[in-house]
Amino acid sequence: MQELLINIFDKPLGIIIAQLVSATRFTVYLSLIAFVGGGIIALLITFLRIYPSKILNFLSFSYVWLFQSLPLLMLLFLIGLGIPRFVGQDFDPWYAASISLIVFTSAYLAEVWRGAILAIPKGQWEGAAALNLNFLQTLRLIIIPQVYRYSIAPTVSFLIQIIKGTSLAYIIGFQDLMLLGKRWANSPVIGSEPFIIFPIMAVLYFCLCYPLAIYAKQLEKKYSIEN
Amino acid sequence: MFDFRFFEIYRSSEYMNLLLDGILISSGLSIASGIIGFLIAFILAASIYWKIKPLNYLSICWIDFIRNTPLIVQLFFVTFGLPLIFQYVWPFWAHALLALTINFTGYFGEILRSGFNSTPNSQLEAAYSLNLDKLTIFRKIVLPHTLIKMFPSLSSQFIFIFLTTGIISEIGVNDLTHAGLYIDSRTFRTFEIFIVLSILYVALSLSFKASLEFVFNKTLKKRM
Repeated sequence: MQELLINIFDKPLGIIIAQLVSATRFTVYLSLIAFVGGGIIALLITFLRIYPSKILNFLSFSYVWLFQSLPLLMLLFLIGLGIPRFVGQDFDPWYAASISLIVFTSAYLAEVWRGAILAIPKGQWEGAAALNLNFLQTLRLIIIPQVYRYSIAPTVSFLIQIIKGTSLAYIIGFQDLMLLGKRWANSPVIGSEPFIIFPIMAVLYFCLCYPLAIYAKQLEKKYSIEN
Repeated sequence: MFDFRFFEIYRSSEYMNLLLDGILISSGLSIASGIIGFLIAFILAASIYWKIKPLNYLSICWIDFIRNTPLIVQLFFVTFGLPLIFQYVWPFWAHALLALTINFTGYFGEILRSGFNSTPNSQLEAAYSLNLDKLTIFRKIVLPHTLIKMFPSLSSQFIFIFLTTGIISEIGVNDLTHAGLYIDSRTFRTFEIFIVLSILYVALSLSFKASLEFVFNKTLKKRM
């Protein structure tokens, strides 16, 4: 691919674009890790949030509240710089970035999913109770199939936030599109000025995010008509 | 090895002054860019609502582009790219203000656009049947409806962007995060200072939330 890009854009720019495109894959990996890991934790948190137990409700509420009000940047600094200094041991930026983004994602997704569950009329719960279904059966048979429709569109649009959030991970030395682009923009090579590099990076991020935005819009339309 | 030494931060008046300045600069820049961004976003959304021909397509592209690229790329382009193209020299905070304003226009524009479109048709039909002209309908019906309905989204979006403004420290603005990094480099109490910063950010966002709610109750609630 690099030869093709060099043929199209000539020497410095073709190499830069090839490198930026190949660095984009780390952005994608980190987003996927954050989305899958955060999704699993968010499922647990959402479950605890609606489970009929005051203590568990409060714990999950505090988790969501705490990590929703903490800036992602502070999470990255705390986990990537603060904790290694505190315990006196270095962390791989991969771990630090993944953990911060997973925590960030889980708090927001849990809130989105809880909102979707609250959107379900109370009568559904009462109907399930009248049928003598227990809590798990109610969730599995009645609530989750409906929550799915409410929550899929906001979940996809939150994925965009995650992808944009990964761009902050360069601050703790995570090697992704952002770090490489910044390095190229700082380099004295002619043809890698900041006003060329940053638009290329913006376009790459746009190519990752915009399809998801369109998909989210379509899902929203699909499910709003059905309801 | 495991020790918390917060006193190194709060005993030094230099550090406390830095943090205070950081709070003022962070919140000041966010509020200023939020207000300017809201006004520009209003123009963009109004152009889409009224279908003013070339401007509305440009506005849609602008909003979509801003919403799908990270703030930090926009910030770096505005700070390091634009001055090279147009040959100007600004202080750091002005670049940060411009970048944040650009970011706010995108998000607020989308919220306002969907707010304008969500005006109930029955109200519009009632207004047409009263033979109100287009401007009056917009001013008296669409706008209050949008502001009331979209105020929660606008305020939570404002707080979300406020929480990401820490990255303007990357271009050298003396904001709260910058103060934290400076203190960290002087004292090596990394963990402690970032806990302090986190608490400050949470407190600031809570007070923003409370004051926005106060504004809402004072101005818009009586029209609900």
